[in-house]
Amino acid sequence: MSAPKKKTIQIEAFRHRVVADPKYAEKTWNILEHAIHEIYNHNASGLSFEELYRNAYNMVLHKFGEKLYSGLVATMTFHLKEICSSIEAAQGGLFLEELNRKWADHNKALQMIRDILMYMDRTFIPSAHKTPVHELGLNLWRDVVIHSSKIQTRLLDTLLELIQGERSGEVINRGLMRNITKMLMDLGSSVYQDDFEKQFLESSADFYRLESQEFIESCDCGEYLKKAERRLNEEIERVSHYLDAKSEAKITNVVEKELIESHMQRLVHMENSGLVNMIVGDKYEDLGRMYSLFRRVASGLVLIRDVMTSYIRETGKQLVTDLERLKDPVDFVQRLLDIKDKYDKIIGSAFSNDKTFQNALNSSFEYFINLNSRSPEYISLFVDDKLRKGLKGVSEEDVEIILDKVMMLFRYLQEKDVFEKYYKQHLAKRLLSGKTVSDDAERSLIVKLKTECGYQFTSKLEGMFTDMKTSEDTMQGFYANVGADLGDGPTLSVQVLTTGSWPTQPINTCNLPTEILSICEKFRNYYLGTHTGRRLTWQTNMGTADLKATFGKGQKHELNVSTYQMCVLMLFNNTDRLTYREIEQAAEIPASDLKRCLQSLACVKGKNVLRKEPMSKDIADSDAFFFNDKFTSKFFKVKIGTVVAQRESEPENQETRQRVEEDRKPQIEAAIVRIMKARRVLDHNNIVTEVTKQLQSRFLPNPVVIKKRIESLIEREFLERDKGDRKLYRYLA
Amino acid sequence: MEVHHTDVRILMLAWKMKAEKQGYFTLEEWRRGLKALRADTVSKLKKALPELEKEVRRPTNFLDLYSYSFRYCLTEEKQKSIDIESICQLLDLVLGSQFRAQVDYLIEYLKIQSDYKVINMDQWLGFYRFCNEISFPDFSGYDPELAWPLILDNFVEWMRAKQT
Repeated sequence: MSAPKKKTIQIEAFRHRVVADPKYAEKTWNILEHAIHEIYNHNASGLSFEELYRNAYNMVLHKFGEKLYSGLVATMTFHLKEICSSIEAAQGGLFLEELNRKWADHNKALQMIRDILMYMDRTFIPSAHKTPVHELGLNLWRDVVIHSSKIQTRLLDTLLELIQGERSGEVINRGLMRNITKMLMDLGSSVYQDDFEKQFLESSADFYRLESQEFIESCDCGEYLKKAERRLNEEIERVSHYLDAKSEAKITNVVEKELIESHMQRLVHMENSGLVNMIVGDKYEDLGRMYSLFRRVASGLVLIRDVMTSYIRETGKQLVTDLERLKDPVDFVQRLLDIKDKYDKIIGSAFSNDKTFQNALNSSFEYFINLNSRSPEYISLFVDDKLRKGLKGVSEEDVEIILDKVMMLFRYLQEKDVFEKYYKQHLAKRLLSGKTVSDDAERSLIVKLKTECGYQFTSKLEGMFTDMKTSEDTMQGFYANVGADLGDGPTLSVQVLTTGSWPTQPINTCNLPTEILSICEKFRNYYLGTHTGRRLTWQTNMGTADLKATFGKGQKHELNVSTYQMCVLMLFNNTDRLTYREIEQAAEIPASDLKRCLQSLACVKGKNVLRKEPMSKDIADSDAFFFNDKFTSKFFKVKIGTVVAQRESEPENQETRQRVEEDRKPQIEAAIVRIMKARRVLDHNNIVTEVTKQLQSRFLPNPVVIKKRIESLIEREFLERDKGDRKLYRYLA
Repeated sequence: MEVHHTDVRILMLAWKMKAEKQGYFTLEEWRRGLKALRADTVSKLKKALPELEKEVRRPTNFLDLYSYSFRYCLTEEKQKSIDIESICQLLDLVLGSQFRAQVDYLIEYLKIQSDYKVINMDQWLGFYRFCNEISFPDFSGYDPELAWPLILDNFVEWMRAKQT
């Protein structure tokens, strides 16, 4: 069985009887024309939509689309001309209102007309390539009304006047403005631009140019920036309220250019209120404002950054060359930290942590810290002070914070090897005098240094700590084993230092008192008994002693003194008077050390356990010293020993410098050999670059010194010059 | 032969003979040299000298002579450097005719500077290169950042300071 055939039912279109009336088109058009008139005259309510639609439809159907269309154009044009006149006639403030009202009317009319003529819109217009009704209505409005000679300029002028008025503080009808600008946009963005925006931007530029000139003459930097910011915000707000969104970028450009860019230099450098003044006064708000405004302008931030950088470098340079300040290293370093904190805060709160500013700050610090060759020493002294007493009672977190700050300064140093030298010296003194506030803090800093510089930097330092610990154990062993034999003698505490780990000290002569000698010998025997193949040397310039002394009226004190001081004082057990010569002979301590020692015992108020004749500060060979019976002190324990780390004197500093230079030579040579071994052949410039790179974590090598080392290596036949190209060096296996 | 023993031609002769020790010619060396010069009488030797001078002046030969002259002055075994005084004389002898001005100023500098008390072969060779390659006394093209021996860097600096 096949599927039943579907029967399609055709419904024929109901055909009106074709009227062959030649006047048909004319009649129909008149009806429509009349309707359009009524619409424009606000009389649309009396019209029948259906009838009009049908008429229009018929016209198009009977091929009278052209007539309909041209009729539409003419009629609309006619009405628009009338509208034009009425708008032109409006006075003053009513002009815009009239324009707005008529525009609204026109749109409403246009809507109705289009609905009526929809069939033509859909059929005749596309095929005849005519402009659709709605668009036509807009174009006609544009051409007849907006571009009419009387209206065009007046419209623009009115709009600009109102905007200007608002800028001067007047209140304007923003809703009306919005409608008008929206109208222009509806007519096409080129209409908006050509008939309004272009001029708007130009006149705004002129306005702000003048205003900025006024401001800059009368305001200081902070005030100016406030005003500029206000104007900028105003314009942005204006756009959001009654201009097209695309105008925002353009008008802000204008403001930025006229208010900011043109006067950038002058603002930043303004005396007594410019950037430097703001920095000095920590004016975060002003600085923040400057940052956010200048950021909008090309090279605005660069300007701020450059001025800030040169100011930091200037102040830094002043600080590191200020001889008065440099007399107190701890204060000096504290000042450095304060400066860093200040700028960190500025960059954080006002410059939104801008990385380029952070970098500028870092490079400035690196620049001026290294201007003073003693910075490494001072930083070490600062650390010494903190670890000795500064960190007493400080919480663990705060300790970490301070140590991290120290590390930050350390990173800026170019001559890290110099720092290492001093740090070692100061650490040695701290450890040996037992004067460190917190072992944990010491260790924490070593760990930080190790993380920064690698194992080699800190291995010796760690060795020092190990020695201290080992010595403790050794002493326990000593007393356990030998304690019984010691009887009533002095108590001994020995630190055994491994030579390589501790700062090198010249070995001086010193005659220890007999009371001490015997126990020292006992220790030496004990130690060498348990450790073969080692050599022990007493470091008499580094030790301390506690002496119990009884003075004239029977007052007892415990004196904490250095080994040298002990030797000298013990001499007075047998006699009350000794001349310098006699002391020198008996103690055999080198002259300069001995003189310093005697000065600390006889010439310092509150610590003068000895009396000197004559009373002068200098020690002459013929001076006589007496045990000071009349010595008093409110403390039972009196500390006279001087093992505190101090800022080096000039000659000492020179010496250390020389030792550092000597130490650097083999490091440079080792680097050269390493590089040449790997590369075999290399030219001079590249060697210098590579060596500098390899050593940069320790110090910055001088190219002249590098050259000298190369020549020395050539002489010792590690390298040779290439026979052909004299710029090249060859590695000699 | 009417040639003074400090005359450069003696040096050239020694070079030709590849003599080992200054002031002495071994019989072997003597024979070798005369054979090379094709001279078997004194007069022939005398006549051969100008020819020898010309031969020496050729750049490749000259460089060879120049290095030879340094080694020639090393009297001790394992000696690697020559004292300033002798270097000055040697400079005058070997380079004086070709680079009069450079040599005179260089000698003046060597005498007053105190960085170096002796000169080694590497520096000695540097002097010749310097005279050859660097225009005098403007030193245009001289770059201390390059591989010139340090002593020449210092010389140029000293000269420039004098010129201002």
